[in-house]
Amino acid sequence: MSRILVAEDDPHILRLIAMWLRRQGHEVLEARHGAAALALIEEQAVDVLVSDVNMPGVDGLELIEAILPQSRVRRGVIVLTNRWDHGEIRERLARWGVQVMPKPFSPTRLSELVEALVRAEGEPAESGENPGLAAGATEVQFVPPPANLPPA
Amino acid sequence: MCAEQIQEITPKQPAGARHLLWRGVLPEAVGLCFVAIIFTGFAAAYLVARNAWEEQTTAARQAEAARLATLTADAIGSGMQSGTATALLRQVAQRPGVHAIQWTGPAGEVRFVWPSPGHAVPTLTAVEDLTVAAANVRTPEGVLEGTLRIELAGAWDLASDSHLFWNWAIAACTTLIVFVLLYRRLRGHLRPLAALHQNLEHYAAGIERQLEALTLGDALGATAQSWNMLIREFAAARQQLETVRRANQTGDILTRFEGAIFRRVVDRLPFGVLCVNSDQTVTYANGSALALLGARSEAVLGQPLGEAVGAPAVAAAVSGAQARSSAGLAIDHTLTTGESETTLRFRVLPLSDEAAGGETLVSIEDIGRLKESERARDNFLYHVTHELRTPLTSIHAYAETLTRPGFDDEQTRKECYNVIMSETRRLSSLVEDILSLSQLEVGTARLDVGDVDLVRLIRQMVQDNLGAADEKRIDLTLTLPPKAPKVRGDKQRLSVLLMNLIGNAIKYTPENGTVQVTLTVSEQRVAISVRDTGIGIAPEDQAHIFEKFYRASDDKVQAVAGTGLGLAIAREVARLHGGDIHLQSEPGQGSTFTVELPVSNTESAEAFAR
Repeated sequence: MSRILVAEDDPHILRLIAMWLRRQGHEVLEARHGAAALALIEEQAVDVLVSDVNMPGVDGLELIEAILPQSRVRRGVIVLTNRWDHGEIRERLARWGVQVMPKPFSPTRLSELVEALVRAEGEPAESGENPGLAAGATEVQFVPPPANLPPA
Repeated sequence: MCAEQIQEITPKQPAGARHLLWRGVLPEAVGLCFVAIIFTGFAAAYLVARNAWEEQTTAARQAEAARLATLTADAIGSGMQSGTATALLRQVAQRPGVHAIQWTGPAGEVRFVWPSPGHAVPTLTAVEDLTVAAANVRTPEGVLEGTLRIELAGAWDLASDSHLFWNWAIAACTTLIVFVLLYRRLRGHLRPLAALHQNLEHYAAGIERQLEALTLGDALGATAQSWNMLIREFAAARQQLETVRRANQTGDILTRFEGAIFRRVVDRLPFGVLCVNSDQTVTYANGSALALLGARSEAVLGQPLGEAVGAPAVAAAVSGAQARSSAGLAIDHTLTTGESETTLRFRVLPLSDEAAGGETLVSIEDIGRLKESERARDNFLYHVTHELRTPLTSIHAYAETLTRPGFDDEQTRKECYNVIMSETRRLSSLVEDILSLSQLEVGTARLDVGDVDLVRLIRQMVQDNLGAADEKRIDLTLTLPPKAPKVRGDKQRLSVLLMNLIGNAIKYTPENGTVQVTLTVSEQRVAISVRDTGIGIAPEDQAHIFEKFYRASDDKVQAVAGTGLGLAIAREVARLHGGDIHLQSEPGQGSTFTVELPVSNTESAEAFAR
């Protein structure tokens, strides 16, 4: 059983992801925004972080940036976003090597990805530098963004 | 004569030409009078000369008779004693021409008479006249011895009279002939002049404006031919002018004008036009080109293209286009003048025809606005897709959940259906909002305009929101004036406006707060204000709060679901009704949104209704 933190401001999506992961037998921590997620991670390290990007207050990117050096996420980070076509966001996520699931997403795929991260061979990434890469998952999907996108 | 000539050459008898008849008769009458005067003059001269000749002859005869009488009387006086007097008198009587002699003594007695009594007095011929002379007879001592009377008969010299007459007659005829010859000669010159004079008079008086009718008969000679040539050339020039004038009235501006006007047209085009010759020198720049380049004409005209536009890439493109005579090249170049930045698009259009002499046309457009609108469109699309993905994500995820084994318990299924339903509604209302806002903004929204009873509408809206207010234990109150006019407007859209404002007020007001809806009426406007004790809006957000998809970055705002379209729609609806919407707010204290609308009878309401 792994501990998974889900940070998502949309209550329907949060509830759905939690439901799926619990049915897979994971312990799920729920956070409605980045600040809550940070507090939960401070409290206890998690295996996988599933986070939205666009959240009130501390958003997903700030959350990941904050937790990266702390190695409080052992297996990897999965980012759910409907801003995956945003150049800057895409670039930052790619630099960190986190898994990206564009919204709308398939909960089946998400649970598979979480399973892959959790069951990945080898030691968990202690350094926390590249949590996503350490997981060895392949589900990285980018769609070329349209030109002339405005800044965030 | 002249008049006849003119009538011959003017095929159309001009109005008022009757007086020409006078001109025709007059020269003849004048000519006849002139002849008569000449003849009369010569006759009078002849008579005067003849009279003088007669007087002269008569005087000569009288002198001769007087001399004869005196000589004879003297001779008688000296020869009286000798008794030769009678013999002398007889001798005198024998002289030719002596018609009669009588010597009367001092007492009146006749001392001598010839012809003697009883002898016949010789008769005078038709051409003879008598000349009588008398003289006193005195002796040498001076004694008066009576009076001698001599009558002389003299014949007139008819030959010399006839000579005189013929002299004058010949002079008169010669004069007449000279006059006639002179007149005929002069008439040849005067005829075309008279005709010309008449034509000019008619032309000036407007009787005849047809140039063709002003030509003269070629028979009138060199003057007329020269005049006709002048008229023909003038007529051709006038026709040419007429053609140009007709073209001016019917043709488009480009066929009508070259030169100055065309230049003005090009000058006023909203995009820049440069002409570049084969040496890459700018030969022409219109007003827009100078304005877009922000340069004075000296800095552009006659300068190399690269320097004139400050973009070597444009010059390179032009020379490339000239070499290949290709067109349609577009180069975007950002020009920085001071703080402002403009992006100009240069298009190279070689003028391939020979008349252009290798010139190339470069058009300049300011595409800053285009880029701005492209940015706005992309921004809009970005936000729209983002907003649409949120409910779609829920629908997709819950729908997929329904298909998976392990989620088929009754409660999960019910929850999935509920979420799908509510998110579908959200998606649908979002689509409605986007469409409605876009229509309102573009101005294609169809408004169902009628008289709207605002009091009733506000009551209804407050009623509809009571449930939501109760959930948060918010005190929703309504203050209405005793009487309120109706407004012209679209009831459905006004209800959306009110719904958005009241809904927002409840959404952003914490539990146990209050929301007050107030309608106030002034002479021409009604004002609906919605005051809440909510989270308020930061000053930096207030300026943007009515922009579409704008949501304050405040956590408290982000915690509430919203698309950022409600206020944008509300403002568009208010403005379409000839009104507007205002905001007063302090963070933490609450916000007041006030919508002002004109009442039914105002012009703006009428204008909006159209």
